[in-house]
Amino acid sequence: MGRRLAGSGGPAFRAALSLLLLCVLTACGGSPEPASRAAAFNDTDVMFLQMGLAQIIEGDRVAEMAESRASNPEIKAVATELRGQWRTERDSMRGWLEQWKRPLEADPSAGLHAGHGDLHSLREEDFTGLSAFRGAEFDRAAVALLLGNLHNAMETIRMETAGGSYPQAVDLAERMTEARQSQIQRLLALAAG
Amino acid sequence: MRRRFTLPALTVAAVGGSLLVAASPASAHGYISSPPSRQANCASGAVAGCGDIVYEPQSVETPKGSTQCNGGGSRFTVLNDNSKNWPAANVGSSVTFNWVITARHRTATWEYFIGNRLVASFNDNGAQPGATKQHTVNFAGYTGRQTVLARWNITDTVNAFYSCVDLNFGGATNPTPTPTTPSPTPTTPAPTTPTPTPTTPAPTNPGSTTWAAGKAYKAGDRVTYNGASYQCRQAHTALAGWEPPYTAALWAAV
Repeated sequence: MGRRLAGSGGPAFRAALSLLLLCVLTACGGSPEPASRAAAFNDTDVMFLQMGLAQIIEGDRVAEMAESRASNPEIKAVATELRGQWRTERDSMRGWLEQWKRPLEADPSAGLHAGHGDLHSLREEDFTGLSAFRGAEFDRAAVALLLGNLHNAMETIRMETAGGSYPQAVDLAERMTEARQSQIQRLLALAAG
Repeated sequence: MRRRFTLPALTVAAVGGSLLVAASPASAHGYISSPPSRQANCASGAVAGCGDIVYEPQSVETPKGSTQCNGGGSRFTVLNDNSKNWPAANVGSSVTFNWVITARHRTATWEYFIGNRLVASFNDNGAQPGATKQHTVNFAGYTGRQTVLARWNITDTVNAFYSCVDLNFGGATNPTPTPTTPSPTPTTPAPTTPTPTPTTPAPTNPGSTTWAAGKAYKAGDRVTYNGASYQCRQAHTALAGWEPPYTAALWAAV
């Protein structure tokens, strides 16, 4: 809608713009919407959301396998909990990127992923490798892969709590810190078995 | 249209720069998860008062050649503190170490020391490790409590990753030929109370209800939370921690 108005640039656009400005300046309407739209976001917020989404997508593939195939019920329980929380987090994260008109993924041609990022990612062969395992071996590998994914995610999350500026995204990162740390604890207890 | 393409590129460039700044002191890579290393015992909560290592047990990275549990750097010195009550895993003479890897750097060697003596070394000849890594080391001749220092030596940087693992050779679960004294492990037949899954199916009252974790909401549903009213923006299942005031993508205040 903003694009269409901007494109026309006519009186309707100017009217809408002044109304919007008025709302921003006076926080009209009582709804938190105008205020939250006006809240500033920075590059760290965008990167947190883009990288965080990629990490969630990767983690969810491992957790999906763990949920259906692990022998140890505690592994299944952690996987189920993660998947549920990721669904909600993903919705918020996508929502902000869309609201800010930012791509959901960092541009792969920028070299970030082709360079260092790739080292931090799982590959197709890791998933096929995991699916070939059985019983206790599967459990051990699934826990190791989940821990690797969550540790990488924690780095992204902590980057956001340290340097993000969009209050709701920082707030989300703080909640994610708490949730992920407790899941890491449970997975490490399983690894120590 | 041009805007659309240039903006992401700029964002990525700027953000890439800030990541390097933010993450370079601790670009993390791996540690031993079992038997639990000192950093694993910190991250799992088995040992308290560890500081920041709980957030990044994989980050004990310093130049190669140190014999200290923290790799000799200024960070994570708590790992060197032998007065801390580190749990020691009971093991036999053959021990299998499992690594958690968060970045697969090309690897020279994996080394395992006790004291200053190299007990085992595995040469990867510059290969990239897989997503998981496991080594079995023979510690024949060692008894009692020992601290194993493991070093993961990276090929293409000057650095190594350090993990100290406290072990108790000949501890309870080991091949000590004592004829299984502790009677056939009292397998307390786990009281099968099926943990009444706290799915408290929140009194489903059509119209405005109180927000509740575990409940499925669809777009348009109205709830109250802490005295305020909200309308659901997109279908989801509510989770503890994702209350309406904190999830603007899911709930609009009305």
